[in-house]
Amino acid sequence: MTTVAPSPAAPGGAAPAASKPRGRGGSTLWRYLVIRFLLIFPTVFILVTMVFVLMRITGDPITIALGGKLPPDQLAERIHHAGFDRPILVQYFEYLGNIFTGNFGTSITDGQPITQILLTHGGATLELAFYALIVAFIVGIPLGQVAAYYRDRWPDAVLRIFAILAYATPVFFAGLLLKLVFAVWLDVLPVAGRASTRTEIQFSTMPHRTGIYLIDAISTGDPEVIGDVLSHAVLPGLALGLLTAGIFLRLVRTNVIGTLSRDYVDAARSRGVREIRLVRKHALKPALIPIITVIGLQIAVLLGGAVLTETTFEWKGLGFELAYYLSKRDFVAVQGIVALLAVIVALTNFIVDIIAALIDPRVRY
Amino acid sequence: MTSVSNKGWRIAAVGSVAAVALVLAGCASGGGTGNNSGSGKSIVVGTTDKVTFLDPAGSFDNGSLTVQTQVFATLMNSKPGTADVQPDLASKAEFSDPNTYTVTLKPGLKFANGHALTASDVKFSFDRQLKINDPNGPSYLLSDLDNTTIDGDTTINFHLKAANDQVFPQVLSTSAGAIVDEQVFAADKVTPDADIVKAHAFDGQYDIDSYDFNNLITFKANKNYQGLLGAAKTSNVTQKYYTDASNLKLDIQQGNIDVAYRSLSATDLKSLRSDKKVKVVDGPGGEMRYIVFNFNTMPYGATQPDADAAKALAVRQAAADLVDRSEIADQVYKNTYTPLYSFVPNGLTGATTVLKDLYGDGKGGPDKTKAAKVLSDAGVTTPVTFNLQYNTDHYGESSTDEYALVKSQLEASGLFKVNLQSTEYTQYSPDRTKDVYPEYQLGWFPDYSDADDYLTPFYGADSFLVNHYSNAAVIAEIQKQATETDPAKRKAEIEDIQKLVGKDLPILPLLQGSQVAVTGTDISGTTLDGAFKFRFGTLVKG
Repeated sequence: MTTVAPSPAAPGGAAPAASKPRGRGGSTLWRYLVIRFLLIFPTVFILVTMVFVLMRITGDPITIALGGKLPPDQLAERIHHAGFDRPILVQYFEYLGNIFTGNFGTSITDGQPITQILLTHGGATLELAFYALIVAFIVGIPLGQVAAYYRDRWPDAVLRIFAILAYATPVFFAGLLLKLVFAVWLDVLPVAGRASTRTEIQFSTMPHRTGIYLIDAISTGDPEVIGDVLSHAVLPGLALGLLTAGIFLRLVRTNVIGTLSRDYVDAARSRGVREIRLVRKHALKPALIPIITVIGLQIAVLLGGAVLTETTFEWKGLGFELAYYLSKRDFVAVQGIVALLAVIVALTNFIVDIIAALIDPRVRY
Repeated sequence: MTSVSNKGWRIAAVGSVAAVALVLAGCASGGGTGNNSGSGKSIVVGTTDKVTFLDPAGSFDNGSLTVQTQVFATLMNSKPGTADVQPDLASKAEFSDPNTYTVTLKPGLKFANGHALTASDVKFSFDRQLKINDPNGPSYLLSDLDNTTIDGDTTINFHLKAANDQVFPQVLSTSAGAIVDEQVFAADKVTPDADIVKAHAFDGQYDIDSYDFNNLITFKANKNYQGLLGAAKTSNVTQKYYTDASNLKLDIQQGNIDVAYRSLSATDLKSLRSDKKVKVVDGPGGEMRYIVFNFNTMPYGATQPDADAAKALAVRQAAADLVDRSEIADQVYKNTYTPLYSFVPNGLTGATTVLKDLYGDGKGGPDKTKAAKVLSDAGVTTPVTFNLQYNTDHYGESSTDEYALVKSQLEASGLFKVNLQSTEYTQYSPDRTKDVYPEYQLGWFPDYSDADDYLTPFYGADSFLVNHYSNAAVIAEIQKQATETDPAKRKAEIEDIQKLVGKDLPILPLLQGSQVAVTGTDISGTTLDGAFKFRFGTLVKG
């Protein structure tokens, strides 16, 4: 799922020199999209296989649960009963067969249908990723413009340091710091969770809940519930979003600076267009094109970061569940969650590829 | 750039930051962190435990047991504050002959859903436990149960393999003896949580009102419960699940929850003890932390080139003389664990101080001179090399500090040279039974509140330790106590067993866990007793 990050271009994608002739027609675009789509399958297959092998060679859930309590023969009997002592290839092909028939199975340790886990917790993770992207946009793009405008002056230096700190700070550490400041010292935001207990109780009795709390909160029509849900989203959204904001900031800065030296910008400048307008309008749009391609890659980073963010903030999404089932060596649950995450990342990249190809003809297809 | 007003850009920059701040502040304004524990006198209990299965046939872990304790009743149970069992759903329970334990149900019992609870449900519950025999369930506790028969709607006969099994009434009080609704539960497989909750198939003090798996459970008092515990004192209780213990600590500190039960870190507990906004309630715990000696591979063990049983015993005894349990409990666990000087922990009938009497300075402290003499008398060359294994992903991160301190205590005498090594549990568990580790860490959580649970599995004929220790006299005594009908005689036999085992030292008990709950100052009725069951029904707010 590779994407091509083009260099800054003039508005409308009027690049000065494309490497290949343009106007190859819709059929070429379709071919490109089909190839990109087909690449999703080997990507997911390879990932699922790797996870299967890694999980199988690191132990089984029965030993984890009962290894300290049962004599070896009884333990072996239970492992045999569960089928964990069969040849790994047999287990692997059985697993693949189940996946192809849409049967993700049930988790070994707590008997939850994997599809139920994915449906229940997938919404939470997507919601967190959504908040994180909002933070990344709100923080990264304007500050990137500011840094570009103040190029090589102290505001630029400060913002560059901020950007480095934002994406270099481990997300769990950022989370702990934010909690310490806003939840413990200032006591203005909740410590953890996706909603207060009262709201959770209200949601748990809703007949048609989506699992995306913001939507569920809006559907109650109660501003207090909406506020409650949003207040719980602030710190996790910030912790995860700042990671991407730092990357956006640097990307926007670099691209805006590059665009500001273009001829068409000079021409606009000579016509008396104010510098602030140049930066805000003329230079920003082309500078945002690389952001679109980076979003595809950042989705993987966000989902990876979600494992730590969700655990830090008790945000019960897929990352949270993944960490839990990993600790229990629950093969089935881990494989199901990773497979879904892989599909999400692959599909997101596919969509980004489509958008990039449509808005920027220099993308090769 | 110079042509543009810097002021404008500063405004833009500040505006961007302010916009973020405003969004955040706006978001925050709606929810706040006030006490959201519900209206009236409902109570919110927080925990880091996790439920695996609601069905008592499918789980035997702390998280599931805590929920099962609230919603499933048993024939026998213990009153809060004691560990001694007495009839719960039963009106009478006794041995009608040495191999038959007969229980009579109270009349007119009902499940929360209105289904009648009869002897047929009881037979169904035990039959399915044995039939399902789930690897993660408690069915192995019913190993002495041959079959169950009923006589009418209220009489159940448990036919036992061993005569006068004194542990069986205790087993009836565990989740292996939870009575389930035969109209709802499957006879041959674990029933999904959703089916149980939907059918309100509960007979304990509480019914489940809403169930969001490992996120939130709301309980409401079960008006149909007529057992030993009486009606729940608080009608509505919510169980909230955490992963990070620090979040649990912050929420109890800030009043967002009313009770935190399992598992706060030792450091957090120490800090909470000095916090006037909360109360810390302690109770006896059944957890035991100990070192196992492999009789084959330890120094001078049976399969070693220099095998010598007397010298091996001297090595074990010297180690027992040198460990300072109080120091470990204080420095590593901030006294959330207590020193353990016997094989049956404090709080249970038969607990002694045999190890304090036999080893160290006689007061629980170490004695280097005594250890040196034991080794010298046996002709052991010092320092003795100990290859001590421990584990952190099953027995807790603090195991590193615990075993570093054990190493320090043993080596401070100059009598031991300790090589410490940690191994991941999936490797550790099979390795220990394959004689890979000469000395190693283990921990024990009780299945039921009886001394037998600390004796038979350890030193009986089919010991799970597999450390090649076997003492015929000990095995005979264990079998005897298990069928002794006279409580005083049984207590004496349990004490005798510990004296014998104390001399052999197949394991070296170090610490006993304690139960700890942290509550708001307006919460009363928190009861942590030797039954190791945390009951919501005794909690009262305000």
